[in-house]
Amino acid sequence: MRDLAHRLLVYEAGAGNASEPPEHPAIRVYEKLRQSLGEFVGVAGFQSLASRALTLARPEVPSLSAAQVAADGSLEGLREIEIRFDMGKDSATDGEIILIARLLGLLRIFLGEALTLRLLRNAWPAEVFDDRNLEHGRKA
Amino acid sequence: MSTQDKVKINKLPTGVPGLDEIVGGGLPEFSFNIIAGAPGSGKTTLAHQFVFANATPERPALYFTVLGESAIKMLRYQQQYTFFDPSKLPDAIRFINLSQVVLEKDLGAVLEEITKEVEKANPAVVVVDSFRTMVRKPESDMDLQSFIQRLALFLASWQATTFLIGEYAEDELRDNPIFTVADGLIWLRQTAERNSIVRKLQVIKLRGQDSVPGLHTFRITDAGVQAFSRTFGLTARKRNPPSGRRLSFGIAKLDKMLDGGVREGDSVLVAGSSGTGKSVLATQFIAEGIRQGEPGIVAVFEERPEAYAERATSLGLDLETPQKDGKLTILYLRPLDLSVDETMQSILDAVQKIGAKRLVIDSLAGFEMALSPGFRADFRESLYRMIFALTGIGVTILSTVEVDESFTEFPFSTYSISFLTDDIIRLRYVSIDGQLRKIMVVIKMRGGNHAKDIREYEITSKGVVILGKRLANYQGLISGIPVHTDRPNLADESSQDTGIEDKN
Repeated sequence: MRDLAHRLLVYEAGAGNASEPPEHPAIRVYEKLRQSLGEFVGVAGFQSLASRALTLARPEVPSLSAAQVAADGSLEGLREIEIRFDMGKDSATDGEIILIARLLGLLRIFLGEALTLRLLRNAWPAEVFDDRNLEHGRKA
Repeated sequence: MSTQDKVKINKLPTGVPGLDEIVGGGLPEFSFNIIAGAPGSGKTTLAHQFVFANATPERPALYFTVLGESAIKMLRYQQQYTFFDPSKLPDAIRFINLSQVVLEKDLGAVLEEITKEVEKANPAVVVVDSFRTMVRKPESDMDLQSFIQRLALFLASWQATTFLIGEYAEDELRDNPIFTVADGLIWLRQTAERNSIVRKLQVIKLRGQDSVPGLHTFRITDAGVQAFSRTFGLTARKRNPPSGRRLSFGIAKLDKMLDGGVREGDSVLVAGSSGTGKSVLATQFIAEGIRQGEPGIVAVFEERPEAYAERATSLGLDLETPQKDGKLTILYLRPLDLSVDETMQSILDAVQKIGAKRLVIDSLAGFEMALSPGFRADFRESLYRMIFALTGIGVTILSTVEVDESFTEFPFSTYSISFLTDDIIRLRYVSIDGQLRKIMVVIKMRGGNHAKDIREYEITSKGVVILGKRLANYQGLISGIPVHTDRPNLADESSQDTGIEDKN
């Protein structure tokens, strides 16, 4: 899951539009997940998943204690944490990877790998997934 | 209006084995259907099967989830079914959650949201699961009936086949205006019968085509819902005219008693008490069929197929090779909660798979015991339907039945099923000269001649062997306690009556 989270973050880091104000890749990944999964599980459903993911990620990333999931599923307080996420660099930090990985991990637990990938393909192009095995982070 | 002027209504496969037959060949395209039933009755699974059977990327399915089961858990469980094809998500099947709209707004907003998504996706199939949970606010501008009326109009115009899923109790069926809007109404029931769960479905309403009336058993397995039509899927099959051909038992003397053998397409009952050789006779019947190139099915309930085949080997009959060659199937059906229809469907599937010409049911008592208690009351009726269906396509059925040995009576069957059979062969013990010996008599051959002789037989290493002449020097043989008489042998005289003479 960490590998896939890393790939999504790297993709979003490179996909930012220069004409728009810079937004942290982690926020873009999170928002895309909120949009695509929200349609399927509903706002409340996504809010529950995201809250759980945040709780699971906090012990590994103490700075996430400042963040919380709002009723609409958006992540609040992330902007303050962005500085510590080393904003502007191409490579993603452990903190943001862990947060996204926990969210994807929950999806895999509930839906399994195949269906999780199917749902994510709605939000990202196929090359991001590149036949990757989620469990081991290696090519199948 | 001539036939060619009439609009042709396409029928869509339901994706549920057996249900197409029940609904008259498939569900009408663009129909507006309600799947109703209590929680846990299989409504969502049935809708999923239809969706997976019909959705394509070009004409996708939109599956709207409302309140109730969480979408993520629904997919978690539904993907366990074999029909669930993840590759159809999300291009061919899209799940859209409407819970927020329902919680925060009214039915008008829900309709608006569905309309927006339908216009965007141009779906072939739309499911709303569960529409009943949408009614939360009594003060809503739109009541459920208006909502459904407008939804039905809209979705029909957009050429979508629609399913609304709703939790309804049995007593809510009457006078419910919601149901008048629907083109189709499928009701799923689940009841406890002693220690077994019995599931039944009913097509209460289906506009535009004939469906099979009545309650049909269904089961939910890892393949999803499987329905068992009361007509066993054979309604469309033409009944074969009687061929007049005679099928041999491989026992020359018995064939002669039957005026040349059992007529093809007959239902034969072999009745007798324990140990009289009913199964042996049945095995010889099936083995002789295979020898003559007629594939066979043996449905056993009281012993395992291996044991059945081994016993045949001890009689010099090879049932192993024809099984390997696909000429013989021995079905072992013993779960105690089978519905009678699914048991019969298993037999029918096997018959159709190998093109069986002979079927042995060994025994009817075992068959009945294998059924869920709730189905035992329907046993005779279901048996009648199956026998009628199978003999109609030319399959010859031999059923064995154990009868209580009485030394004062001579019952044909404890099940009162002799009306289901064309021919009855009765085996019984008889006390003669200080020995418990066996006799055989043909009680009935519908529409045909048969010997009236009572013949003694033995079970040897070659199977049932009929001995000598008829037992003419005894009176009261069928009582089991005959009296020896000194009368001259009347065998020839009696045989002249039947025209079937045995001078061996």
